[in-house]
Amino acid sequence: MLQCIFLLADNGAVILEKQLTGHRVDRSICDWFWDHVISQGDSFKSMPVIASPTHYIFQIVRAGITFLACTQVEMPPLMGIEFLCRVADILSDYLGELNEDLIKDNFVIVYELLDEMIDNGFPLTTEPNILREMIAPPNIVSKMLSVVTGNSSNVSDILPGATASCVPWRPTDVKYANNEVYVDLVEEMDAIINSTKQFSLLHARFRDGVLVKCEIYGEVQVNCLLSGLPDLTLSFANPSILHDVRFHPCVRFRPWESHQILSFVPPDGQFKLMSYRVKKLKSTPIYVKPQLTSDAGTCRISVMVGIRNDPGKTIDSIILQFQLPPCILSADLTSNHGTVNVLSNKICTWSIGRIPKDKAPSLSGTMVLETGLETLRVFPTFQVEFRIMGVALSGLQIDKLDLQNVPNRLYKGFRAVTRAGEYEVRS
Amino acid sequence: MAPPAQAHRSPSPSQPSGKGEVSDLKSQLRQLAGSRAPGIDDSKRELFKKVISYMTIGIDVSAVFGEMVMCSATSDIVLKKMCYLYVGNYAKVNPDLALLTINFLQRDCKDEDPMIRGLALRSLCSLRVANLVEYLVGPLGLGLKDNNSYVRTVAVIGVLKLYHISAPTCIDADFPPTLKHLMLNDPDPQVVANCLSALQEIWSLEASTSEEASREREALISKPVIYYLLNRIKEFSEWAQCLVLELVAKYVPLDSNEIFDIMNLLEDRLQHANGAVVLSTIKVFLHLTLSMTDVHQQVYERIKAPLLTLVSSGSPEQSYAVLSHLHILVMRAPFIFASDYKHFYCQYNEPSYVKKLKLEMLTAVANESNTYEIVTELCEYAANVDIPIARESIRAVGKIALQQYDVNAIVDRLLQFLEMEKDYVTAEALVLVKDLLRKYPQWSHDCIAVVGSISSQNVQEPKAKAALIWMLGEYSQDMQDAPYILESLTENWEEEPSAEVRLHLLTAVMKCFFKRPPETQKVLGAALAAGLADFHQDVHDRALFYYRLLQYNVSVAERVVNPPKQAVSVFADTQSSEIKDRIFDEFNSLSVVYQKPSYMFTDKDYRGPFEFSDELGNLSIAAESADNVVPAQGVEANDKDLLLSTSEKEEIRGATFNVSGYSAPLYDSSAASVQSELAIISSTSAGSAPSSSLAIDDLLGLGLSAAPAPEPASVPPSLKLNSKAILDPGTFQQKWRQLPISLSQEFSLSPEGVAALTTPQALLWHMQGHSIHCIASGGHSPNFKFFFFAQKAEESSNFLVECIINTSSAKAQVKIKADDQSTSQAFSDVFQSALSKFSV
Repeated sequence: MLQCIFLLADNGAVILEKQLTGHRVDRSICDWFWDHVISQGDSFKSMPVIASPTHYIFQIVRAGITFLACTQVEMPPLMGIEFLCRVADILSDYLGELNEDLIKDNFVIVYELLDEMIDNGFPLTTEPNILREMIAPPNIVSKMLSVVTGNSSNVSDILPGATASCVPWRPTDVKYANNEVYVDLVEEMDAIINSTKQFSLLHARFRDGVLVKCEIYGEVQVNCLLSGLPDLTLSFANPSILHDVRFHPCVRFRPWESHQILSFVPPDGQFKLMSYRVKKLKSTPIYVKPQLTSDAGTCRISVMVGIRNDPGKTIDSIILQFQLPPCILSADLTSNHGTVNVLSNKICTWSIGRIPKDKAPSLSGTMVLETGLETLRVFPTFQVEFRIMGVALSGLQIDKLDLQNVPNRLYKGFRAVTRAGEYEVRS
Repeated sequence: MAPPAQAHRSPSPSQPSGKGEVSDLKSQLRQLAGSRAPGIDDSKRELFKKVISYMTIGIDVSAVFGEMVMCSATSDIVLKKMCYLYVGNYAKVNPDLALLTINFLQRDCKDEDPMIRGLALRSLCSLRVANLVEYLVGPLGLGLKDNNSYVRTVAVIGVLKLYHISAPTCIDADFPPTLKHLMLNDPDPQVVANCLSALQEIWSLEASTSEEASREREALISKPVIYYLLNRIKEFSEWAQCLVLELVAKYVPLDSNEIFDIMNLLEDRLQHANGAVVLSTIKVFLHLTLSMTDVHQQVYERIKAPLLTLVSSGSPEQSYAVLSHLHILVMRAPFIFASDYKHFYCQYNEPSYVKKLKLEMLTAVANESNTYEIVTELCEYAANVDIPIARESIRAVGKIALQQYDVNAIVDRLLQFLEMEKDYVTAEALVLVKDLLRKYPQWSHDCIAVVGSISSQNVQEPKAKAALIWMLGEYSQDMQDAPYILESLTENWEEEPSAEVRLHLLTAVMKCFFKRPPETQKVLGAALAAGLADFHQDVHDRALFYYRLLQYNVSVAERVVNPPKQAVSVFADTQSSEIKDRIFDEFNSLSVVYQKPSYMFTDKDYRGPFEFSDELGNLSIAAESADNVVPAQGVEANDKDLLLSTSEKEEIRGATFNVSGYSAPLYDSSAASVQSELAIISSTSAGSAPSSSLAIDDLLGLGLSAAPAPEPASVPPSLKLNSKAILDPGTFQQKWRQLPISLSQEFSLSPEGVAALTTPQALLWHMQGHSIHCIASGGHSPNFKFFFFAQKAEESSNFLVECIINTSSAKAQVKIKADDQSTSQAFSDVFQSALSKFSV
């Protein structure tokens, strides 16, 4: 049971406070919290659950805003954190984005939302569709409407039908002129690649890394713009590759259990139908081969990037980022493709973009070590970003999407994209 | 919506300014209040927004309360909402003015629009002004019967709010039975869920004073209610599902069929998108199968994948909370997760608190098949930029080595660390090599060769230096220049800041002396002289001790200082298994995140799902707390209620709890400090408990001396009890759960005894005189329930007793559990004779 929710700006000042129970939580808890955060050094890396002398604090940080909830009683920690995440999601959904000024401009909406989302410290409605029916978002359309009609209330005066319906996630009377449904496979590849360490300088040549771990975390995102109460069935060509799945509450469990078919009445608009994991992938689309050799106080670095397994589509937005070890005094890095930037905090970014056809991009340069240090002992980790449109690297394929209770004329669209998630190459 | 005029952009909320603005607002509101001009709502709205903004940034605008109320007569719902918000915020500090708002809120409660009815009712109940409760009962009664579910939802929570303002009003209005009826019959799942949470709170708080309420509370976890809720589980919102699942976790099914039915029904909840639901489900599964070892294993296998998915999806905050729970499971059953060790590999970007958890899990899951890969991975981290993590990972390598898998390869790795020329790596590695040598003396040759090459000047950290010195002393016969290194260290005695290092140095020099006397004699003299002159008491004492020992007899000294050593087989664990069990019982709670059972960090006032004890004055919350603490089994939950309730009554234990209460914020300190806190706690309880029993003895005027021997007559010579026995409630509960009942008997009470037993305390004092101590008691005439414990005088063997006394039948039901089963009959005799002597 949460007792109070605070929203803090990025300087620690309280933007908003919402007391949830009769037991008022003093604002001073925020000062304590902020001191604590500062004492931890990195403000965005402090623990999500903290015990203060008087309260237990849950906190999440979104777009520089800290969402803080306090309680004095034992409760499931994930409930507190999940709820704060929902609050953050709903607010950014309502306000377009999250920042201090937007929240301050829309205090009233934020209060109204919190009022409906939680009562007496217990979460009530966090379903965006229902909330949107109860409290209209402050968008331009409703502003225009209020000017034209003179009715400036931003609250619908009827209660949402969905609260009483058996599919609470879907409004009852949805109507579209053009009926469309889009299914996107969005995948993130998490990988750790170790380079084979070379202690002997004699064998200084490029070596392929060892794939320590490679996994795909994927989501099936659906944008459903359909009238009425449609019933959808989505099936995959190869569901057996999925290691573990999580569903939106709308998905019926039995059809999945027996035939691996997703059967559901979708919410209106954009939602995450399912998330899944695919384990133990054998290969990565690109390779990154770093090599560092150091001798007599200087270190030669060279990194090559290229396509290992052509996914059949263009790999773009390739970015390599790494933190230079603290013992490096200066670095002179150049590349034959893309741009290299070294920031003052020694974070080096190499934006490659696409890999050209005629040459393999490479970065090379020399780094000067601290005086007294002969060889480099701490090696940087390269974080790699890329994006491949049109391919789900896990190999998951949508077989078909059947619809019932829908108008005859409709458009179905399928897309796929794979991005690098936590994709790191160690040198 | 147009942004409100923002004259207050400067972010300091404490600024005293705003006085002018407030009075300005006041006059503007006054002007608008009476006006009926068209468009007046818009100007009101701008003003209200301004008021709300001021309120939000912390300027006190309570001065305009009257004006706000005057302006609230409007049909505009946004204005109403802002007004409700304002009123809710300031009513408590302005109870007199709050009366003004009652009128319009009550009117709104009868509005045609259910939204307004609901909002008004919510605001009405949120005023929380004690002298206004009479106005709440009517609207709440109507609200509960409203035909709109939104209004009912609000009304149910309203009842709970009313209860917290004035419990008697709520009970007198007969609201709890109404809620129960709603819970079992309402078509709307949210109403049902709210009823459930309201009833749980109300009945738990009432249970301490009313038999009926405690029966009702029990009824909530009875089969019909649980099944009713489970059958509707899919209708509930995700949060309500969490609530229901928490309740189900307390339910004790009759047989295994029931268990399987429940698990089958809930299995799909494991795939819910909301992590809180998944974790609550997991808790249910774990609790249901605690007694079924095979199935419990299967549950682990089943929940593994959902947990790992939860960790990899979602925000870092969510995955941390899940990871903490995964951590506890991995620690309990590492072998099940052994094949998933790659999930615990640290990613570069993760915050260090996540990495730390992962390192511990990696250490735990290491076995024959994966040790090589795990150690390889850990060695990657040793070269990490993040120094604390680098240290942790070296320690992890050491721990794995001590687990005895593939030690060969690991020792090589550790020795490689020593060659890395990073001071902190060297330091950590040295400590580990020392521990390794204590366990595997056979490795000494390889290790010593490398350690010998380390220059002691490069080692600064006390722990590492101490380790190095220990090795120099222990293996001085194998290290060519050990005496000379020790000599140079002794020469720098003055510069050595750490007493620990100096102590080790003394001992090492002694050991070296016994092995290589001619080379060491000079150093020994210097070291002893320096030690005697040392300002640190321990160092001084040890030097003096060594000196006198040598003076007395060198060979005796050798036997004392350098006896043959046995290899250590197992190093002590930092956290006792009992505490780990406690935390596991509290799965899906904050305990898991803090890695401490809740009694160690929650303030005793705040255990259980509600607080407000300061507002409600005399409420005893203890009864509920047990529910949350260990909902293992229904019957036991009862027992624990009692346990905690006495511990509250006893000042001493209160003090102990406070100590532990303060320890929570120190969570991020290392395991070592946890241990030391534990030590503090136990020492305080040890220190205070006996003195309290003495105090009580004196109070009673029993004329017992400071160290009262148990009355010889009352104790048969076969069994002597320790009059100062100590047992903390946690251990008691633990033992009570583990031990079988060794004796179950029924005794009769003498009529005098029945007459004397008007309050539980009377018997407690009496039994204490017989060295049988009470750990918990409760009940009212004619039914009393006690938990006693006693310890044998000469050994720490415990007897635990549950004693239920019914004064109307003058019978006592006694269940005895004992560490040593053979003596339980003897103890039973002691107990009976003590009980029979009880009188006024």
